[in-house]
Amino acid sequence: MINIPQKPSVSYLVILGIPFAFIFSIFSFSRIGFNLQDFKNNLANRAIVTEPLFNPKWRWAWENTSEALLETVQIAILASIIGCAFALPLAFYASRATNLNKYSYFIYKSFLNLVRTIPDLFWAMLFTVAVGIGPFAGVLALIMFSLAIMGKLLSETIDSIDPGPMEAAKATGASHNQTVFTSALPQVLPNFTAYFLYIFELCIRASIILGLVGAGGVGRIIETQRIFLRFDRISPIIVIILVVVILIEQFSVWIRKKIL
Amino acid sequence: MNIPDQPINQKIFKYTITFMIVLASVWSAAGLEITMDRILDAPRQIAFLIGAMFPLDMSQEAFERIIPKVFESLFIAWAGTVIGAVFSFPVSFLAAHNVAIGFVSRITKQILNAIRAFPELILAFVFLPITGLGPFTGTLAVGIHSIGTLGKLSSEVIEGIDEGPLEAIKSSGGSKINELTFGVIPQVMPTITSYWLYRFEINLRASAVLGVVGAGGVGQELINQLRFRDFPRAGTVLVCTIVLVLAADTISAAIRNRIIKGKIAKN
Repeated sequence: MINIPQKPSVSYLVILGIPFAFIFSIFSFSRIGFNLQDFKNNLANRAIVTEPLFNPKWRWAWENTSEALLETVQIAILASIIGCAFALPLAFYASRATNLNKYSYFIYKSFLNLVRTIPDLFWAMLFTVAVGIGPFAGVLALIMFSLAIMGKLLSETIDSIDPGPMEAAKATGASHNQTVFTSALPQVLPNFTAYFLYIFELCIRASIILGLVGAGGVGRIIETQRIFLRFDRISPIIVIILVVVILIEQFSVWIRKKIL
Repeated sequence: MNIPDQPINQKIFKYTITFMIVLASVWSAAGLEITMDRILDAPRQIAFLIGAMFPLDMSQEAFERIIPKVFESLFIAWAGTVIGAVFSFPVSFLAAHNVAIGFVSRITKQILNAIRAFPELILAFVFLPITGLGPFTGTLAVGIHSIGTLGKLSSEVIEGIDEGPLEAIKSSGGSKINELTFGVIPQVMPTITSYWLYRFEINLRASAVLGVVGAGGVGQELINQLRFRDFPRAGTVLVCTIVLVLAADTISAAIRNRIIKGKIAKN
């Protein structure tokens, strides 16, 4: 007779969670208002979109987007550099390993969380109202975006660093700032570089759509053509963007391999 | 004391990188016509906008308009995640090279990459003339983008499994299907479920934004209030969004923690 161990009892998370998730899904779908009849009627109009979408006007797109595309890349470069530069010191204040003061740790951590809850396009809307329409607003929006992501990623990395070097530095009589500079910072710098490249990629992707709310970049051109339903002009722009994004990602992967 | 010098090629490398970063920022700033006086003026302008939002518009009417929109974003995000999860789950098995045969997995991976490349907003306004203004379009956009991202993440989880249990099932006479249901799925389910929740957190932010093109959700409300210069109400919209996202993030993070680390690692 084989002695089979008893099955562990099912946790409440499973007993309550799965039915709840199921019911909530049904509720969500009902609230979204999916109507098969409307959908069928609208599907008859698909030619409005699909026909121009697959008849791209390459020449027009090429002549009109190159400048805006360059703007998009510039926004992403500037915002990711500045955002990550600001995030570097903030991350050390928002980590329990390097910030000994419980209250200031809490304040910095909540600040980063708060910035992270606001989506990138909301920042862009707010900044276009504050500083005017144009790429400057886009740069400010993406600074907040990259600041939040870098702050979270880096502070969590700092939380899990090896405490050995810091203890060693402290044992030699170093002050707290010296300890952080000499033993915590070098440990996370490789991660910082990797995160920076990752955030740069995210910023490139995000800066494409910033123009939809007037914050500069190639989205500006997409928005004007979208309003007139000129999908024959939009589809080549999207393809060009995808090519540029993929090229930049490959470049960033290549740099990452070189550096790390 | 004898401190060894930093190797010369490392020094050159360091200075080249620094120089390149500075050059890139200056080139970008010049290209975008960001001048010093604009930078110096920005904090005052931002402070003015924030000042204009307070006191928030706490009237009954404002909440009656905003709260349903905020919840609409929540429903879009959840329904989109469900679409993504349901469709990406079988696809991820096809994309994993240790479950599917070579060329199937390669083709599926390329398809997933292609889906992932389109941002939700672009999907949304392409669908808009077909599916109409409203949350359904947003759900479809969020859902399709999620299929791409979840498919990639899940297939990577499947590729990283321990082959031992599969061998055990094979040696005791189990079929290929048995291998999947008793060998692969129990191993990958916790991680994949936590990825679904993680994707829900991301989708919540995405669905909040979708209103900008009229695909439902709270974004429409914010852009309208900002256009009509009704800053107190725009502030209320922002605060409501922040509260919802924070609450969803906290709950989802707690569940993910419980799934991955188990009951013991609660403290």
